[in-house]
Amino acid sequence: MEYKYDTDFWAGNTARKVWDDIVPGEPRKTIPYTLTKEAIYKLCHATGDMNPLYVDEAYAKTTKWQGIIAPPSIHVLLMFSCTPNDDWMRSPGTINAGQSWSYNIPARPGDVITLHARALDKFIKGDRLFAIHDNVFFNQNNEVICSGRGWTIRPM
Amino acid sequence: MERTFKVREGQRIEGASFSPTRETIWEFCEASLDYNPLHWDDNYMKSDFGKTNFGGIIMHGMSNFSLISRMMTDWALPLGGIHRRLETRWKSPVKPGDTIVPSGIVKKVKSTEKGNWVVVSVQVKNQQDVVVAEGEATVEFAY
Repeated sequence: MEYKYDTDFWAGNTARKVWDDIVPGEPRKTIPYTLTKEAIYKLCHATGDMNPLYVDEAYAKTTKWQGIIAPPSIHVLLMFSCTPNDDWMRSPGTINAGQSWSYNIPARPGDVITLHARALDKFIKGDRLFAIHDNVFFNQNNEVICSGRGWTIRPM
Repeated sequence: MERTFKVREGQRIEGASFSPTRETIWEFCEASLDYNPLHWDDNYMKSDFGKTNFGGIIMHGMSNFSLISRMMTDWALPLGGIHRRLETRWKSPVKPGDTIVPSGIVKKVKSTEKGNWVVVSVQVKNQQDVVVAEGEATVEFAY
């Protein structure tokens, strides 16, 4: 059956792991995703980053990249496109406290991107429940695109 | 060949401002696929989050992240640099009607065997001069 992205994050929320269920070190389920020029354009437009390197093929061909590349922050989209509907990063009320990302090579249109992801740690600070997620995105040649961690406050 | 490198510690970097609206935040939901109700559901945002009540929808932290990333690539690419790292912490929520501006200061220029690496202290302030995000970026200028 073909996977359908559910934009209603409440749907199926009871199937998602709550803080207590998150096991640091345990891999998260992921889904390969094929990046498109349209998806890159949409994200660039939404962030106001219309650098022609990301949106203008004729210009991008004149650069050392010889074609359109995605902006480094493409992982913002990849985080959701490479995970299934029951991933705990979709739990309504998940609050982003901070992120740290390293960039290796750019993602490109047509790349089939895979994600290796897990919870790295979980802890309590004051009244809040935190989880750290750890992620590495690869292209179809098994080259690292980027890797990063995020600190989230979990909903209660 | 003599290497000339013009980036200096203390150098200031300015980014483009951004004024989120409900519409731009929804556009970011659709582009990022992050439909967390924090960003669109007014009723949900009447609730308390622990001891915090946001008093309405808030912009995605990753929209802020993208704004800083844009500042870094706008600065680095024309100089031949590659944006290699960005670390951020969110200090305060950003809401529709706010105007936020990112900026940076070159904190360290470190020469390694294969290039010059520039560490930039970054922050984002809103229209009330409140720091809403802060962190650190790294740019590589390969030899």
